Amino acid sequence: MRVAGRSEVRLDIVDKVTGAARYASDAVVPGMAHAALVRSTVGHGVLRGVDTAVALAAPGVHCVVTMADFPDVDPFYGEWVRDQPFLARDRVRFIGEPVAGVVADTEEHAHAAAALVVPDIEPLPVLGSAVESLAAADLVIHPDRASEDPELPNVCYRSSFEYGDVDAALAEATYVHDATYTFPAVYHYAMEPHAVLATWSSDGLDVISGTQQPFKVRADLARIFNVPLGQVRVRAPYVGGAYGSKGQSKYEPVTAAMARAAGRPVRLVISIGDAFHTVSRHHATIRMRTGIGPDGGIVGRDTVITYDTGAYADKGPRVARKGAYRAAGPYRIPNIRSVGLSVYSNRVPAGAFRGFSTPQVVWAGESAIDEIARHLGVDPLGYRRQHLKRRGEPFLGDDSPLDADLAEGLGVTAEALGWGSSVPTGRGRGLAVGVKDGGGGAARSEAEVRLHPDGSVEVLAATSELGQGAKTVMGQIAAEVLGCQLADVQVRLSDTAVTPFDRGTNASRSTIGVGAAVERAAEGVRRQVCQAAEEVLGISEGLILDGSDIVVGEHRQPLMELVCASRKLPPEEIGAYSATGFSGNPTGSGPLGAAAAFYEVGYSAAEVEVDPETGQVRISRFVSAADVGFAINPAACEGQDEGATVMGIGHTLLEELEFVDGELVNGTLVDYRVPRTTDLPDDFRSILIQNRDGPGPFGSKGAGEGGLLAVAPAIANAIADATGVRIRELPLTPERVWRAIQPVEPQES
Amino acid sequence: MHVDLVLNGELTAIECADNELILDVVRERLGLTGTKRSCDMEVCGSCTVLLDGLAASACTTLVAEADGKELVTIEGLSDGDELNPVQQAFVDHAAVQCGFCTPGMIMSVQALAMDHPDADDETISEYLSGTICRCTGYVKILEAARQVISE
Repeated sequence: MRVAGRSEVRLDIVDKVTGAARYASDAVVPGMAHAALVRSTVGHGVLRGVDTAVALAAPGVHCVVTMADFPDVDPFYGEWVRDQPFLARDRVRFIGEPVAGVVADTEEHAHAAAALVVPDIEPLPVLGSAVESLAAADLVIHPDRASEDPELPNVCYRSSFEYGDVDAALAEATYVHDATYTFPAVYHYAMEPHAVLATWSSDGLDVISGTQQPFKVRADLARIFNVPLGQVRVRAPYVGGAYGSKGQSKYEPVTAAMARAAGRPVRLVISIGDAFHTVSRHHATIRMRTGIGPDGGIVGRDTVITYDTGAYADKGPRVARKGAYRAAGPYRIPNIRSVGLSVYSNRVPAGAFRGFSTPQVVWAGESAIDEIARHLGVDPLGYRRQHLKRRGEPFLGDDSPLDADLAEGLGVTAEALGWGSSVPTGRGRGLAVGVKDGGGGAARSEAEVRLHPDGSVEVLAATSELGQGAKTVMGQIAAEVLGCQLADVQVRLSDTAVTPFDRGTNASRSTIGVGAAVERAAEGVRRQVCQAAEEVLGISEGLILDGSDIVVGEHRQPLMELVCASRKLPPEEIGAYSATGFSGNPTGSGPLGAAAAFYEVGYSAAEVEVDPETGQVRISRFVSAADVGFAINPAACEGQDEGATVMGIGHTLLEELEFVDGELVNGTLVDYRVPRTTDLPDDFRSILIQNRDGPGPFGSKGAGEGGLLAVAPAIANAIADATGVRIRELPLTPERVWRAIQPVEPQES
Repeated sequence: MHVDLVLNGELTAIECADNELILDVVRERLGLTGTKRSCDMEVCGSCTVLLDGLAASACTTLVAEADGKELVTIEGLSDGDELNPVQQAFVDHAAVQCGFCTPGMIMSVQALAMDHPDADDETISEYLSGTICRCTGYVKILEAARQVISE
């Protein structure tokens, strides 16, 4: 291959190193006004009214809006459960929930006036966590919504899968491992906070937003404001990080509402403090019971995962379903019961975050397997390799067969760490494997490729460029198929009025979904060029494009001439060759409603040292391996794996959103510590496994999430190896580790 | 108040309020949006600029403090289409993903190279620990910084 498989320089990199790259928060249009939101300081209450009079009279203010100003709209959004209004209507359900919006001539005036808005809220008791919500029978966070479970009125969504007879299996097991693990709520910290610019005109609604899902946002806006899809345009420029935090609607509906009320374009750029109060990863409590038979085999697993979804559903229901599904793997277990609960509380809503439900269940599952192997007195690597599902076996029930060799991948990772060699004194080693079904279920992607007569190429594909390198990879796919240079390819960023439909940039699905659509569109264009060459020249075998020329064997001529001759038109009339392509993963009968498009696999192996005086964990060596099928751009794949691993180190050692009675108490970058350069492992290696066995172009699979999945259990397993102490709560802060390794838990004085 | 400074090599006069920050003025008034706003509290480094050759957080530095000084933003680093060595190193090592931290990170590496031209790996890591990147895991950024120092 000429272009695919090479670490081509990213198409966006010069703009990004010179500061020329434009993000939604940089967007400006003539006549634009600025917005600020008024947020609830009460965690749960009845919203009796909002006094806007003083704010309205403040300098520079165009308008102040509350939900009372929009009696004609359906204000709710949410992926499966539409329960979140863009401004609070009659209740507030978390601290930070928007209750009013101010539009003014400057950002400063908007914020000054927002401080003068007075919400009248009658406080209700706060349900500060999922545990409290499950225990409360008479205090209901969404009283106007029927619960999934009449006994538990605060359950937003309940998902369960059952295969075989797990009760009988556990009753007959020779050993039942029963443990409860917790995973913290964590914050994405996309460095660019959410930013939206909305403009209404006779053309309809035009929104610029740093979103992962422009078409989903378009659909929400069309429904909310009762406008046809064709009159809503959503553009996603470069996005300053997302990791799940910018999926489905976030601030697009409220900004569009403010722009409509103000009668002018409105830009809302929230602060990082407010982004902390927008969406998080679900806190989870996982109780996992695993039965072992007389031969050491796993005979059954019974898992209940309680995800704290916070005040609104967002993507919580999907998280619960996927988490329950993924808790069943990736080992051969004949009897399975998995229950995933998405539970409301008066916390910041939780939604999608890189790995989507999986880091929580892999934390439990890969800790449990390690505990079991140690209990049985066998090597944790050997035990895993013996019981992991094989390539070609279904992941669960009759779902798609596993498209990776897990035992081999784990072996490669362990070998790179030196598994089996002597461990330096004071250190310990651990490993783990994480598997998630990739692609996000039933989905469709479309793309268009145009070849202009001067040899330049345009790729229209609605993958948001979040940093993952999609723009470059789409260009490489098109260039490879067309036989042209990457330098001649322009890849347009997402714009629902220009780029064809795609479900969204999430679930590691862009390369296998949109990439496959680009591949097919490029093949369509290539067929047209080859057909013209056959007609005009009588040959097309091995045709390539070289700048503005076509080259077939020894023959070279301007593409322009070929098109003119073929279409019998003068140069200024000949148009372009263009074709569309699509790829899709249809609805199906499996537990997820669609077969898995592929399986994303991440392997982690760690060697750690624990300071017995302080509990500080130092990662002396770390190996991550990502099964990417085929790396279309190896440097970009490595970057994804390295970034995912370090993000995983964050929730393993450092990060936790702390709530007191529902109130987030560490919502700043001072109090909430994300990994820095000095937190990297002393020695860090990332391996790409490439067997060309994926469904994407050239055998590729999706990537970007796998590296994060298994980090926490690998490190905790290494700590257990080093100290003999098992910790089942994250993050593994010095205090937590120090307390755990004391011979006797110190008494509170 | 009135502030005179050299901004990206050009003498520039700015009329501003006493409490205005460099970040707001360069982004909103001068249209230099390469300097990014993130944490607003001098923690993340994404708004790093050079003030008389020293790294400064534009989100917490008053325009008044730049009076009579030389201010360089990311837009002032390259010479036309010619990337400066730090920018080129980031390109060579694919040390960019979403790009939001990139301008601040590049300004930090520029300051590091001026401050510690012989920095060892530990110094590089310590120096850059004041700039957060949430995408890359820092591996390729540190490679780029080492290339700059070794040149």
